[in-house]
Amino acid sequence: MALALLSGVGRAAPPDLVPPGYRPIPPGIHALVGARVVVKPDETLTNATIIVRDGLIERVGKSVTPPADARVWDLTGMTVYAGFIDPHLTAAAAPRTPTAGGRGGGAPVNDLTAGTVKFFGVSSQDREAEGPGYEVARVTPERQMARSYVPDSKANEKLREIGFTAANVTPERGIVRGVSALVALSDEEPNATVIRPEVFQHVAFEIGGGRGGGYPGSLMGMVAVVRQSFLDAEHYKLDQDDYRKHDGQRPRPAYNPGLEALEPALAKKMRVIFEPRTALMVDRATRVAHELNLEFGILATGQEWRRPELAKAAGAPFIVPLNFPSAPRLPQDDDWQQVTLDELRVWDWAAENPAVLRHQGLEIALTTTGLADKSVFRKNLRLALDRGLSEKDALAALTTVPARLCGVERQMGTIEAGKQANLTIVDGKGYFDPESKVRAVWIDGRYYRIAASETKEDTKDGTGRGGGRGGRGGNRGGATESANSTNVTSTAMATNSVPAGTNKLETLAGKQPEGTNDQHTGAPEGRGGKSKEAQKRIAQSPLTGRGVLTNPPALLIRNATIWTESAAGRLTNADLYVRDGKIQKIGRNLYPMGGAPDNTLVMDGTGLQITPGIIDCHSHSMILGGVNEGTLPSSAMVRVGDVVNSDTANIYAQLASGVTAVNLLHGSANPIGGQNCVIKLRDGESPEGLKFKDAPQGIKFALGENVKQSNFGDRTASRFPQTRMGVQTFFNERFVAAQQYLQAWTEYRKSGDVPPRRDLEMEALGEILEGKRLIHCHSYRQDEIVMLIRLMEQFGVKIASFQHVLEGYKVADEIARHGAGGSTFSDWWAYKWEVYDAIPYNGSLMRSRGVVVSFNSDSDDLARRLYQEAAKAVKYGGTPEEEALKFVTLNPAKQLHIDQRVGSLEPGKDADFAVWSGSPLDSFTVCRQTWIEGREYFDIALALARAAALARERSELLVKVKKAGGPGGPGGGDAANNSFFEVSLEHQYDGTIRHCLDNE
Amino acid sequence: MNNIPFPSRRPTAGTVPALLAALAVLPWTPTVRAADPESLLLSNAIVHVVTGAPLPGGMVWIRDGKIQAVGTHVEASGATLVDLGGRHLYPGLISLDSALGLEEIESVRATLDTTEVGEFHPEVESWIAVNPDSELIPVTRANGITHAEPAPQGGTIAGLSGVVAFDGWTMEQMTIKKPAALHVYWPSMSLDVTPRERMRPPTPGGGRSSDEQARERVARVKAFDDFFQEARAYAKGRAAGKAGVNPPWEAMLPVVRGQIPIMVHADDTRQIKSAIKWAQTNDCKIIIVGGQDAWEVAPLLAERQVPVIYEGVFTVPGQEQRGYDVNFKAPEVLRAAGVKVAFSVGASGMGASFARNLPYEAAQAVAFGLPESDALKGITLYPAQILGLGDRLGSIEAGKEASLFVADGNIFDIRSNVKKMWIAGREVDLASRHTRLFHKYKNRPLPQ
Repeated sequence: MALALLSGVGRAAPPDLVPPGYRPIPPGIHALVGARVVVKPDETLTNATIIVRDGLIERVGKSVTPPADARVWDLTGMTVYAGFIDPHLTAAAAPRTPTAGGRGGGAPVNDLTAGTVKFFGVSSQDREAEGPGYEVARVTPERQMARSYVPDSKANEKLREIGFTAANVTPERGIVRGVSALVALSDEEPNATVIRPEVFQHVAFEIGGGRGGGYPGSLMGMVAVVRQSFLDAEHYKLDQDDYRKHDGQRPRPAYNPGLEALEPALAKKMRVIFEPRTALMVDRATRVAHELNLEFGILATGQEWRRPELAKAAGAPFIVPLNFPSAPRLPQDDDWQQVTLDELRVWDWAAENPAVLRHQGLEIALTTTGLADKSVFRKNLRLALDRGLSEKDALAALTTVPARLCGVERQMGTIEAGKQANLTIVDGKGYFDPESKVRAVWIDGRYYRIAASETKEDTKDGTGRGGGRGGRGGNRGGATESANSTNVTSTAMATNSVPAGTNKLETLAGKQPEGTNDQHTGAPEGRGGKSKEAQKRIAQSPLTGRGVLTNPPALLIRNATIWTESAAGRLTNADLYVRDGKIQKIGRNLYPMGGAPDNTLVMDGTGLQITPGIIDCHSHSMILGGVNEGTLPSSAMVRVGDVVNSDTANIYAQLASGVTAVNLLHGSANPIGGQNCVIKLRDGESPEGLKFKDAPQGIKFALGENVKQSNFGDRTASRFPQTRMGVQTFFNERFVAAQQYLQAWTEYRKSGDVPPRRDLEMEALGEILEGKRLIHCHSYRQDEIVMLIRLMEQFGVKIASFQHVLEGYKVADEIARHGAGGSTFSDWWAYKWEVYDAIPYNGSLMRSRGVVVSFNSDSDDLARRLYQEAAKAVKYGGTPEEEALKFVTLNPAKQLHIDQRVGSLEPGKDADFAVWSGSPLDSFTVCRQTWIEGREYFDIALALARAAALARERSELLVKVKKAGGPGGPGGGDAANNSFFEVSLEHQYDGTIRHCLDNE
Repeated sequence: MNNIPFPSRRPTAGTVPALLAALAVLPWTPTVRAADPESLLLSNAIVHVVTGAPLPGGMVWIRDGKIQAVGTHVEASGATLVDLGGRHLYPGLISLDSALGLEEIESVRATLDTTEVGEFHPEVESWIAVNPDSELIPVTRANGITHAEPAPQGGTIAGLSGVVAFDGWTMEQMTIKKPAALHVYWPSMSLDVTPRERMRPPTPGGGRSSDEQARERVARVKAFDDFFQEARAYAKGRAAGKAGVNPPWEAMLPVVRGQIPIMVHADDTRQIKSAIKWAQTNDCKIIIVGGQDAWEVAPLLAERQVPVIYEGVFTVPGQEQRGYDVNFKAPEVLRAAGVKVAFSVGASGMGASFARNLPYEAAQAVAFGLPESDALKGITLYPAQILGLGDRLGSIEAGKEASLFVADGNIFDIRSNVKKMWIAGREVDLASRHTRLFHKYKNRPLPQ
């Protein structure tokens, strides 16, 4: 260990003398001559010389004479690059056994100690680390890779084989994960290898819940946790500063190393790397980074091709893995029917993603992360180059860009005097030809031979191991001795094989004439191995065929039946005139004698019926990841708006049945759920682009069996509440807390003292108390409905809507007097005990007592036929037809407080409407067109062609993938299948139906 | 001849408030089997005979539980004339592959009798466990469904189904055919390609290679085939008077003798093709139940004369290139190819509580191309034929059972309501838990 410490001294120090018997440290002066030197991505010198002295580059140039004391290396025919830097090396996560705690739903309630629950309900989470830390187990910003890094010589060798000389070692687990450290990939003691101990803070939207079901369990929960932890760090600093200011003469703030560790990131002194994991979340990462005012970068998901514009908008550097999926192998030809178009697209697009990012003007750095077999890196890099990435950009992405990102651009990244002598030496045509081999890398002025690049000739003579290294400080294991001896042999043998001409001829691992090194096995496939066809992309952008079909400056539909759902009633032989996205006029014969204004698209509506666009007041169809953050009884801090899935097939399927606006709700696994998000189905838009900007914010509440976990089995019986009594207690106490929270802020505004901690859960509940956030409450039984009405009345809050509300008919008068809406199922019943009294007359009965009633879907399937559901209000209880249609148009708009914009067809409202083949209440009717804001998004006449184009694309891709995969192909095996069938979150739930209680 | 105006004189809960309290407590009241030699002449109806075009102004004479005559002019001396006021008269709808009577509340285990454990239990008989007092039965009946085929679930060979009428005091009185079919859940052919680390919760045996899974699915089909061959051998032994009685093999006798069909539950074309091949080899009559992707092999199904009980109309399409409407159109694709298509909402999930919506599944297929007459056959005549009751149920023809209902509109139109119903000639009550709660709370006084 003492020796190891010695090795850390600078170059001015006297040379290390190792104890007798150990190999001495080699002299540090080298001249590398005759190579093609790529000084930096846009500057190459041919036949140049590099002088290395004591670990640094002393000189570089064409007319540089090697100093007399230099060991001279003939690199004729070789190319020398600045040593490559991997900015995001993830060590394989070691399996970890949970220690304690972490039962679903946080701390057990039968704990007798006061105050053990700090962060709400999660104190007993199974933390990554022992000792003090942040309350959410997977937030460990204090974790420092520099503290635990141990060089793994085998892993390092694999990286050196592909030209890397340094890597930024990143923490592999958690949400806010910790700090990465840049290390040299030398086989040194750890102290000597660490180049920069604190490089980035790492944040990941880690998919999948934590061990033991702790908070957070959903994707939206991850985002909430990131927000809250950074806000807490901000507050922590203020609080600690205040404590110091008062010289400790005030109550002591709790120590929290996690929050302390976030300080550099908050001060923009440390870049935060976000790992969004899925293409759409790139946008969310960007927005959260801006929200928290962070300097950031993004670990590319590999699927930015889905929406390049979102990556572009990030404007941050991307660290880009090259872990492309392999073609799968399936037992029988019939089994290919399981392969989805999206999986095929992911496969076909993968190699193009780096170029896509670069074409957005983004700075990229390449990483080996995600590659179990690092040797695939160069093969995949070649594929990326074949698909449009330039060699110059690729080289920058391996050298200058990661150097700058890691804050070592003055030390690394180019071959210039004064920089560290980190070099990558490749024979043949250079690095980008996978046939050419990396012959050696130099790290801190020491050479590392690459065993894998050596020929049979070399190995026969025992030159297999890289051996220049080793003498310095504490030889570990026996490798050094053998390396020592082989090195001598290697030099001697090699000398004979090179032509004379230089004063002291040596080669690295025996220079080979080109074309003789075809003996090696396991080499990546060269570009010649694949046909040009394989390099051509067949897959289309998923945005192809989606989006606006028609966007006329103005639209006139003539002679249709128009269900205005306004005082104007149902008009026959009527015209609808739309301009600027708004309804301008409705009436008979608006522009007689063909006198429509200029630039108006005129459609004959004869025989057709037009209704306002259908509005679904209860949906989970466009939510990315889980719909429930059910790990806590209150998850008011999570926001569905953080995880809108703009890419699910549900959007088109629902447009095809006239749906234009959707209320995306959190699930019903806990009493206080997450914040909702109202969207319009503007297919093709980004997640933000879908949002209904003027819709008021809301939140999901839930009562009854789901929140008291009645149907989850006996294991989930320890979280409060377990009864309807407890549900009331819980709500009451959370709102009392929210009142106190608001009070604390009011007092702060007066006193100007240290502000209270921002608590995003309390903030959302406070907004309810302030009338700024609407409650949409899942409910069934009459008693619980009345309970919430009375409780919220005590807090002066009006509930916007009861959802499901299947016993609403029993207390319709109470609901009507309170002023809440009722958003129910038309005829669902008997699926739970609490819906045994659900009756299909519910809607009609509630309406007859003065409740504003809607029918919702809560189902990706039912959402496609809400117009038929409306007919059930006519059938059961005799609601008049136009009133019944309001159940899926105007009334949900009212419940969401968006009825000034949508829900009926009236001049001034948004031109959101559907065109039907007949009455929307007739089962034989089909939706023919769907328009949003004067733009057409669905047309039945084009639907067939759309599907056919997709089918064609899929079959062409199948031909290609079968050629690539299959027995004996480069793919095959379960590893290949695993990489191929990694379903994207955007399409995880296509073809399934999700309800309130679904978690993942 | 008495002339009864419509609606009938039978008092209803709505018109007789005094009955309310009693009705709210009592379950539905079956008609009395013994009495009722009633002879009725139903007249002035649009008679949906099913086997032909509807008869406007049609008349149907029912007596002794049977349809005596159908036409635009029927002589029925002594019959009570019932004027249906131009309303629609349909044969009772049949709920195939149903959990009605076997399931009350989906999430309450104590109320479930749908699914048995074990792989091969053909001797399990569904009709045994039908609860005559299930609240779901009158709710379903009120939308035109007169009969159901309660189906056993669980394992590969789940058991035998029977057919029940929605009238009768006991399970025995309700059961009109037993057994009707053997239910086989064809082994899944789908490969689980989920990467192991993505499986949550991790499934035991999950993450097996595709090749292992391929071997296992072959083995499962083979195991089923072996079971069937053993049943055949047993039948031979029985015929020769040699084998001792063994209940599972005994239950297979009507199947191996070709007396009842096998209902093969299969959605994937790999399953369907495998089942058809097996049936052809063994010369067995099968019916595909579920049939999600059956349209893809429609010509094969037509060639082999395999009917499909289609349960997937409202399933969300799994693959976008098939079109948003693929499952709406599937019944027409099958029909056009020559396949007999019946409809069902299925027995799993919320099948029992959704069973009343059977006509709307068929209606959606009509909206997307299926001729209305075929859709109607798909919920009446074809189910009857599939169950071996083609001569008894499923159409309005002389000689068939008088299981009929009157609706105030087309039964495919959601807005229509069923107004009157007879099962085997006996008029049944259309009140249900739903109507009772409706009337109770409709009359709730305004709170102070």
